[in-house]
Amino acid sequence: MKQIRIRPKNAGFWTDWAAVIALAAAAAVFALLRGGSFFSAANAVNILRSMSITTIFAVGATLTMAPDGFDMSACSLATVSSFLFASLFLWFGLPLWLSAVLTVALTMGLYLLTMFLILVCRIPDMLATCALMFVYQGLGLWWTGGGAVSAGMPTPWGTAPVRGSWTEASLAIGAAPWCILIMLACVAFAFVFLRYTRHGRCLYAMGSNQTAAAYSGIAVKKYRFLAGMLTAVMIAVGAIVVCSRNSAAQISGCDSYLMPSLAAVFVGRSVGGAEKPNALGTLVGAALVAVLENGLTQMGVVYYVLPAVKGGVLALALVAAYGPRRWAGHMTKR
Amino acid sequence: MESCLLEARDISVAFPGVRALDHVDFRLSAGEIHALAGANGAGKSTLMKVLAGTNPGYRGEVRLDGRTVELRTPAAAQLAGIHLVCQEVDQALAPALSAAENMLLDDLGKPGGLWVNWRSVYRQAEELKQRLHMDFDVRAPVSRLTLAQKQMVLIARALRSRCRILLLDEPTAPLSAAETETLFALCRDLVRERRLAIVFISHRLPEILEICGSCTVLRNGKLAANIAITPRTTADELVTHMLGTAAADVHRRRSVPAGGALLSARGLSSRDGSVRDVSLTVGPGEIVGLAGLVGAGKSELCKALFGILPRAAGEILLEGRPVNPRSPAEGAALGMGLVPEERRKEGLFPGESVAFHLGIASLKKWSRLSLLSRRKLDANARTQIRRLGIRAPSPEQRMELLSGGNQQKAVLGKWLSAGCRLYLLDEPMKGVDVGAKAELLEVIAALAEAGCGVLYASAEPGELLRAADRIYVLYGGTVAAELAAAHTSEEEIMYYAVGGTGPFPPAREREREAQP
Repeated sequence: MKQIRIRPKNAGFWTDWAAVIALAAAAAVFALLRGGSFFSAANAVNILRSMSITTIFAVGATLTMAPDGFDMSACSLATVSSFLFASLFLWFGLPLWLSAVLTVALTMGLYLLTMFLILVCRIPDMLATCALMFVYQGLGLWWTGGGAVSAGMPTPWGTAPVRGSWTEASLAIGAAPWCILIMLACVAFAFVFLRYTRHGRCLYAMGSNQTAAAYSGIAVKKYRFLAGMLTAVMIAVGAIVVCSRNSAAQISGCDSYLMPSLAAVFVGRSVGGAEKPNALGTLVGAALVAVLENGLTQMGVVYYVLPAVKGGVLALALVAAYGPRRWAGHMTKR
Repeated sequence: MESCLLEARDISVAFPGVRALDHVDFRLSAGEIHALAGANGAGKSTLMKVLAGTNPGYRGEVRLDGRTVELRTPAAAQLAGIHLVCQEVDQALAPALSAAENMLLDDLGKPGGLWVNWRSVYRQAEELKQRLHMDFDVRAPVSRLTLAQKQMVLIARALRSRCRILLLDEPTAPLSAAETETLFALCRDLVRERRLAIVFISHRLPEILEICGSCTVLRNGKLAANIAITPRTTADELVTHMLGTAAADVHRRRSVPAGGALLSARGLSSRDGSVRDVSLTVGPGEIVGLAGLVGAGKSELCKALFGILPRAAGEILLEGRPVNPRSPAEGAALGMGLVPEERRKEGLFPGESVAFHLGIASLKKWSRLSLLSRRKLDANARTQIRRLGIRAPSPEQRMELLSGGNQQKAVLGKWLSAGCRLYLLDEPMKGVDVGAKAELLEVIAALAEAGCGVLYASAEPGELLRAADRIYVLYGGTVAAELAAAHTSEEEIMYYAVGGTGPFPPAREREREAQP
């Protein structure tokens, strides 16, 4: 069969690598303008540290979005998880590892509610998680008695907490080397799982065509459940890091990570021509957000203009990644 | 000889990896119905899209009334008076709007006054309705109309503007015989009274012979023939042009090995009532046909067996063992494989490669400890591509760039990879060109030779007579007759499929034959 290319050879290249190019360009511009204060090992660690939490939540979103799912309630649930972690560690004085394991397990338990609404009641993901966002908010506040959980505060039932302060180890989770390592571990896990296992392939098949996946003998409900449970693990891990970094579980402490994490997934979708939520793309997307934030702050952009500039560059990256593809789609569709 | 209304010269269109049209010439005269024939993937739809302005990347020249026109946008084509009624009519309609609004959609979108004059909208729609002899409520939302009526709405929309050339892309595929007749009557009217030129695409050659005055045949993106259709033109002649060689006669002449039933269903009923009290058997090495009209419950029966459609009663035995598949995953685990009727909706993963499709139903085979082996997947894909004769430049080729026939081979191939015992094929030849049909038929026959069971559902009796050993005719969700393929005819199958009861031929005809 004859092979003919109609698109110029590099058209696909630009769209496939738009997010990576934007990332490299932003880094280069900041390095030129700010020199050593941006382009240094210390600042690189800074950026990685600041993107770690967003990335962990974004990996969770990637796992849910691979089989064409969606979760609006992820970060509200994360706030609940952080309450759980802080209260298990401070109020009940459990060892750090046990607090973490229990937090993961309890978050998975709470996520059964999400799965129940989606898989048993068959409510569309978007609507179910929209409602659950409020349910989880309420559940979390009910558990803490309406307040944050921080060191030295009495429990809602009036007794003194078993542990009066955070330990050094518990604070290290949210600090430089550990939070970065945790982030990289999450990304590596999602990368291998989605790309190199048959389970990942089944999730992507569902994301491509749910009916065809089911008719190919894939147990679609089981796999949606699996994706949800893995997302719950990521939510719990992210919540623990947030809690450790703030040395408290604050009210709505994790809620603000929802939109940046979703943005990271969307920016990362097209990286490398994947055309589906993928772990490495998500990492690139989160890095783009973090580099912009860091560089613009150093440039002296005032904090209240920052979101607008950040959003603008994100939009440009999305235009580069999606815009030309739509045009080409005109030609390739038959 | 009519004057030439439209002349397309040297049209070429290329898609990545495929040359869809290769220097094709096309001429169309006013007042004629011109057929465009060719196997799937021959470039019919591509040529139509060029004329309708939705394929702006074409090379070549289109002349209308001797003047060169550039058909790079749909608006340019419509300005030139060329209108396309596409194959999937729902794509072109706004389902929530009324039939009247859909007919006048081009006007409603134009810049102009702020207010909609509903009285005038409905009056104009009524006029159009009268002119096309349509019979439905123009105020009803278009989503409530039948497919035939939706088509009429689109034709009405085309006629509203100054239409000179009407392109009909497989208009008769979803229509019943009566609806087809109505459409043909309308086409003849339009050609006679309004001097329209109509381009008619169809896979059904008798229709082309019935209604068209001339025919352009495409083959692999090239012009194969340009012939006038006379009463003496035969379908065989067209097929020869389409294939380049005479159609191979693939009649099955083989004996079915005796043995216990591979599949036997007893008193099967679906919960929604579309399958009622069906009992059937499929032996190993047997191809069993499932005949019946559209809506007779063929798809539903396949889906009930595979575990998609919930069953209300009855039992299924596989190799004598009672089984109860409650989901397609369980059906597949039992060794069944379904090739669904609606390939695009139920069988394809857009954006994924041929290798992805071929491996998706048997991923366990191609992985160890859940880790996929790319090498094994690739080797499997190459094996199946060779076995099925899939025309793809590589296993990594994206599926949507293949023709319908090759896509269908890949959908069947995913079950071959899985090594099924029982294949449920629901209209496997739908949207498959003549050449690929013969190849698919060989593959299916080979499956039976290897001892697998095949249940083959089709609305076309001729297809079943060629393929099957035994045929069940469904009518209204139940088995109306069980026939041996060697001792039956299309007429007999149709007789039971339309609800005939009692022995065939019916008593009235036997009497007439007896009378001198």
